[in-house]
Amino acid sequence: MTIVDRARRLDRAAAGVVLAGGRSTRMGTAKAALEWHGSTLLRRVTGVVGRAVDGPVIVVRAPGQELPALDPRVLVHDDPAEGRGPMQGLAVGLAAAAEHAPFAFVCSTDLPFLHSAFVAAVLRGFGPGEPEGHTDVVLPHVGGYRQPMAAGYRTDLAPRVEKLIDAGRMRPAHLFEEVTVRQLDEAMLLADPRLADADPELDSVLNVNAPEDYRAARARPEPDVVVERFGVLATKSGARGPSRVRAATIGAAAERVGLALEEHGGHILAAINGDQIRGDAEAPLEAGDTVSFISADAGG
Amino acid sequence: MTDSGHIPAPGGYFGKTLVVDVTDGSATTLELPERVLRDYLGGAGLGVWLMNELAPPGVDPMGPDAPLAFVFSPLVGTPLTTSAKFAVVAKSPLTGLLTDALASSHFAISGKLTGHDAIVVTGRAPAPSHLLIDTEGARLVDAAPESGMAASDAEESLRARYGRRWRAASIGPAGEHGVRYATISHDGRHAGRGGLGAVMGAKNIKALGVQGSARPALADQKAVLAAAKDLRSRSFGPATAKYRELGTLSNLLAFNAISTLPTRNFQAATFAEAPMLSAEGLAESRSVARNSCASCSIGCEHIYASKGGKKTRVEYENVFALGPMCGVSDPDQVLEASARCDALGIDTISAGGTIAWAMECVDRGLLDAPWLRFGDGAALLRVLAEIGSRTGVGELLAEGSRRAAERIGQGSAAFAPHVKGMEMPGYEPRTMQSMALGLAVNARGADHNRSGAYEADLKGGLDRAHGASEHVRAAIQTEDRAAVMDSMILCKFLRGVFTDPFAEWAQLLSKVTGWDVDGDELHETARRIVRAKRAFNVREGWTAADDWLPERFLDSPLELASGRTVTLPAARLRAMIDTYYAERGLDPQGRPLPQASATSATETE
Repeated sequence: MTIVDRARRLDRAAAGVVLAGGRSTRMGTAKAALEWHGSTLLRRVTGVVGRAVDGPVIVVRAPGQELPALDPRVLVHDDPAEGRGPMQGLAVGLAAAAEHAPFAFVCSTDLPFLHSAFVAAVLRGFGPGEPEGHTDVVLPHVGGYRQPMAAGYRTDLAPRVEKLIDAGRMRPAHLFEEVTVRQLDEAMLLADPRLADADPELDSVLNVNAPEDYRAARARPEPDVVVERFGVLATKSGARGPSRVRAATIGAAAERVGLALEEHGGHILAAINGDQIRGDAEAPLEAGDTVSFISADAGG
Repeated sequence: MTDSGHIPAPGGYFGKTLVVDVTDGSATTLELPERVLRDYLGGAGLGVWLMNELAPPGVDPMGPDAPLAFVFSPLVGTPLTTSAKFAVVAKSPLTGLLTDALASSHFAISGKLTGHDAIVVTGRAPAPSHLLIDTEGARLVDAAPESGMAASDAEESLRARYGRRWRAASIGPAGEHGVRYATISHDGRHAGRGGLGAVMGAKNIKALGVQGSARPALADQKAVLAAAKDLRSRSFGPATAKYRELGTLSNLLAFNAISTLPTRNFQAATFAEAPMLSAEGLAESRSVARNSCASCSIGCEHIYASKGGKKTRVEYENVFALGPMCGVSDPDQVLEASARCDALGIDTISAGGTIAWAMECVDRGLLDAPWLRFGDGAALLRVLAEIGSRTGVGELLAEGSRRAAERIGQGSAAFAPHVKGMEMPGYEPRTMQSMALGLAVNARGADHNRSGAYEADLKGGLDRAHGASEHVRAAIQTEDRAAVMDSMILCKFLRGVFTDPFAEWAQLLSKVTGWDVDGDELHETARRIVRAKRAFNVREGWTAADDWLPERFLDSPLELASGRTVTLPAARLRAMIDTYYAERGLDPQGRPLPQASATSATETE
């Protein structure tokens, strides 16, 4: 580990962990690779989580599992044993995340409507003063259920999870019996104005288990986003000023405004909400996003 | 070896530097061994070698012993696009360290036609003079008629007096008055950063005139022509579209959208009135003409009409520095301020940064100039005039923000926007943390041309708001690429057309010089040049404390449009710098290790 990496470990707040394994018995096909508006579920969920954490996003996959294309920054870890349920993935993911940050948002891959505002609201549940504080898990309680696969965990819980697995206690509820859990109900979550605005129904926790769930979710309209173009992209198209379109990815947003990214040979990038800059067409968009297409050759 | 005993120079070179002492006009020739040329190429690289050889340690940058070098390159005069460039290199009166500034114009071609790879000026002329150099040698002529003139007028006047075959690099009134960020200009192009105009002014030289007919042989003329044709056609592709269509000013709205447009002395990173100053907006509301530097097929220069039918050349950096940085949104006032900087011969970035700092001082009650307020375009024009003439508050501000803050005190150094004394370009370091490192460690000071680390922040592969070791490595790569491009010399706006830069540059160099140079050798050359700059600075009193950013940027949060709050913790910057030192092979205090010393003249015999 270099000097700067050691320093980074100290000032990162949170990583993301996405569990991509699981048997997908009811779906009949691996959920991670399900098509999602020109992308895949796993690509989308990792991208959304990545927008809300400052540490890396870690995917835990089953032994030998083939994954769809991901952002190259995503770290992939193998679950050493298949079929041992979410606790096994949680142990691997938290242990990997512990290298980078004191907290992690952990979720499954089957959350097509997960919003980064939800991830941020959950992580904020650790509150000021952490990591010295005493909350081990921030657990959303939505729709009458606890949501362990869309929750925040201290990454130093990994050894405890492993001990529980060794003892045959294979459910997240077993962990919650032993540690300090801060439960966030719907009202508490929606007290966050950004989340209340972006995901008022808390669809972030809506998972797809069966083909009919997936079809219904896929039939929903793509997110409503605003597109801006700058520089020659604005002057050449005669399209100054923002446009509203429905698009689940950067590539789709470009297409909706008649911008062919491939024609520009990698010289066009997109900034999402003035923050992260992306060049890959599959980078996910969320409702309320503003996408700014800019020249990759900025500078000079 | 020729019959005369002279070893022929490699293709593209004469193998010699003319050194002129303007105290008495005497000139000597310094032979440049092939090893030195191969190790340092030309431009900024050869310039730093000359400084390490010729500048007496601890020399006063404005003193007669300080050398001022105009350095050409092996590519100057070839048909390769963007190659008509020259570097001006000296110890900076602004930073007290090395500065090298590049400009593109026919001056480069005519200067090389004098039969030299570089011209070095030392001494101090007894009266205001022009230095004229041709293949016959050097002579001093009276510059009294051009005294006080803008550089462009002085050029014209000199050519009217001595003939239009002369090309002249000149200073404006600011250089004559010793403004520490005065420029040297030719044909409306400026060797802008670091106060080279003040160095020239201190030598009592108003203009350096050059003309000649000496042409060095090229190793493979036919191959150079073919390469030039290929490069020219590639220069019309998507990698340069931005520069061709709207010029660098197209950065403004994009940077505003990503919270990296320094506003009101870096108190904000977005400027609500940015659309009024944008290239997109200006292109709609007023006439615009495009122009190219000599030997350039990109044509990035955009000249806008302003009030009274004036024409002003506009770049992102001058609009950022005189617009958002000073809170001024009226495009006519910003264009006029930019034109005034050109007429006075001062660096727009340092002018804007120093004035913005002064405006904040006024806001805080630290400086008694109540008229100098953010957003007041008339005040901006007034203070520029005062700086150029060193009158009123201009006497203080002509010193640059670091010295001015030292004089004013009261905590004003914390928000003086400089590194090593050089004012910062238009990139917010908290939202561009590769660039934060690049700005902190670069030899020239806060600089976007010797470290193009912003490229890494804007490519999307790294989290630009969270610097780490990969950001350090990316910053080093941009420094290395810049070191070669600035020494060969090729314009950086071409950088996007090269897919394997060092190997492709090596091929170009090989065709010109005849050397069997490859990409690896050229990469090592880049590292050598970067190291030599650092070695010069160490010799001139640089310490590790100089590789740092102003307090304003450290540990203070900045909120992005996304709602994310970004900070640049001092500990993170420290860690990035320490990693930079380690990756560069420097000692823990940032000094080059003894075994990595630069090529010396004695080693090359």
